[in-house]
Amino acid sequence: MATPASRATAATAPPPASTLLEVRDLRVEFHTRDGVAKAVNGVDYAVAAGETLAVLGESGSGKSVTAQAVMGILDVPPGRITSGEILFRGQDLLKLKEEERRKIRGADMAMIFQDALSSLNPVLSVGDQLGEMFVVHRGMSRKDARAKAVELMDRVRIPAARERVTQYPHQFSGGMRQRIMIAMAMALEPSLIIADEPTTALDVTVQAQVMDLLAELQRELHMGLILITHDLGVVADVADRIAVMYAGRIVETAPVHEIYRAPAHPYTKGLLESIPRLDQKGQDLFAIKGLPPNLMDIPPGCAFNPRCPMAQDVCRIEDPPLFHVTYEGLTAERRSACHFWKETLRG
Amino acid sequence: MPEPHEPAEGAVAGTGMGGAMDLAASEATTLAAGEAGAGPGAGPGGGPRGGPSAPARSLWSDAWRDLRRNPVFLVSGLIILFLVLISLWPSAITSGDPLDCDLANAQKGSSPGHPFGFNGQGCDVYTRTVYGARASVTVGVCATLGVAVLGSVLGGLAGFFGGVWDAILSRITDVFFAIPVVLGGLVLLSVVTSNTVWPVIGFMVLLGWPQISRIARGSVITAKQHDYVQAARALGASNARMLLRHIAPNAVAPVIVVATIALGTYIALEATLSYLGVGLKPPTVSWGIDISAASQYIRNAPHMLLWPAGALAVTVLAFIMLGDAVRDALDPKLR
Repeated sequence: MATPASRATAATAPPPASTLLEVRDLRVEFHTRDGVAKAVNGVDYAVAAGETLAVLGESGSGKSVTAQAVMGILDVPPGRITSGEILFRGQDLLKLKEEERRKIRGADMAMIFQDALSSLNPVLSVGDQLGEMFVVHRGMSRKDARAKAVELMDRVRIPAARERVTQYPHQFSGGMRQRIMIAMAMALEPSLIIADEPTTALDVTVQAQVMDLLAELQRELHMGLILITHDLGVVADVADRIAVMYAGRIVETAPVHEIYRAPAHPYTKGLLESIPRLDQKGQDLFAIKGLPPNLMDIPPGCAFNPRCPMAQDVCRIEDPPLFHVTYEGLTAERRSACHFWKETLRG
Repeated sequence: MPEPHEPAEGAVAGTGMGGAMDLAASEATTLAAGEAGAGPGAGPGGGPRGGPSAPARSLWSDAWRDLRRNPVFLVSGLIILFLVLISLWPSAITSGDPLDCDLANAQKGSSPGHPFGFNGQGCDVYTRTVYGARASVTVGVCATLGVAVLGSVLGGLAGFFGGVWDAILSRITDVFFAIPVVLGGLVLLSVVTSNTVWPVIGFMVLLGWPQISRIARGSVITAKQHDYVQAARALGASNARMLLRHIAPNAVAPVIVVATIALGTYIALEATLSYLGVGLKPPTVSWGIDISAASQYIRNAPHMLLWPAGALAVTVLAFIMLGDAVRDALDPKLR
């Protein structure tokens, strides 16, 4: 395994008892006609039961690919997991047979997708699709499954569930469809939910409702939630921890309030500064200069160095490990993959 | 909390759906006002149909509703229904025997009891035209079913699993596409001695499946990439379930459309092959055989050619029109 020594020490520490999912040094490549795109380059993260981990990053930072690898729905080929472990309740999912993984999907871990309209089959009624969860995993009869579907729709507060259970996805509004997706994911009360930008396709008022619903069900079922997003506003409300991804790596991970108070990586800092503020009226919006790196040609050293205002020579040569960030008053674990995290933290 | 916002969301949805309803309603009026002969693409506008008050409708029931209001579908459907009925029970509309011929009547024109006249062998042209429908419909329907089943299974599996099998299948279809149909028929069918319709059907399936297979492969690949297939997979559906329940219903429409249009061309192809002497053989009664036999007398006794040829033309046209109507109904983008 090509684990850099510095990170191996972090990865081999035994997970705490409550850890539900732990990803260790995950690496994913895509083999395309133009070359090999390194989408995920050694990601480590862990989620405990009842915890919400927000995975934050730009498009192409590898956050969705990591999630797909965890779910086991990566398209192989062109995708390929070159190394790493995905421990779910201590069991390495990558060592399981496809049939065993399939049984875990939906029952023990489920996924909510970005666009609920395209994530629901247009030719099947929502009742059929909700009921399918029970037919596939529990071997229920169609009739019982239909009753369960109505129950689920009630639970995600879809009005007139009994009447609407026979309707098709296009007959529901965007927010309702996302509720149905959530109901499908929750159907078998999984212990882990991965929500891939669940509110991006919704308008702002509905976003809040859907996030509230998700957070409420999570509390109720004591699930681990991985929330993939690029919306810092959503994160602040619901997440316990944040993992910031850049070019297929986690560059900073910290408890949510600590990161908002003082980022320890220049990229996180840039993201926070680029949130438009109300008192900024008339001024130019801040943007991180440059573009995310081409995944087929990630710069040597720290992948962020060409865009980093703090970059020094060492950044162009040495890829920083995930340093432990420590300061007075910090109780939980915090890490940053920046040679100059101390300087960044000071502002 | 979500509760207080609920009505707002519902209201937005209501407005959107209401708009679609109005459109659908106005379309119904236009059609009722008489859009006869509007041809393919009949019916303006469209978009997603059905509001909260409407009963739940799927793509299929939507398509069926569209079809019932399409004059092209009604006309072609009636013709096809008539053809199917007379090929099942030809004696219902003719009391004659297509093989009961009297050379004394050869080439005679129409006379009482024999409205279409007699052919070169003195057989009643009306009876032969009626009985000829059976061969055409049998060949057309069986060849289409065979082609559709074989083509969509092979193409669908290749599209779903991809990789090596897909590459192999694609090359095989290329090979079949390179075979000229008439030349292939002349070579392959000339060695067949059977008098039944099966060698002809077999030949059509052999040469026809690659067309459907390509379409099925393409639409399965398209459907496979939809998020709901990924979502089904993420929620634990097996390959078989994804393929049968989520992909197939969303990929089958183009196959149905092409197969319906192809049905007409198979009937024409049967006539072509029979005309060339390698398709159906006497004593089977077929329009192709009769057209072939009558073609040399076209100047003396054109009625012998016109009736079977006319029946063939109407039949092929009916199936192609049906295919057009089905395509319009199943493809919302064409509306």
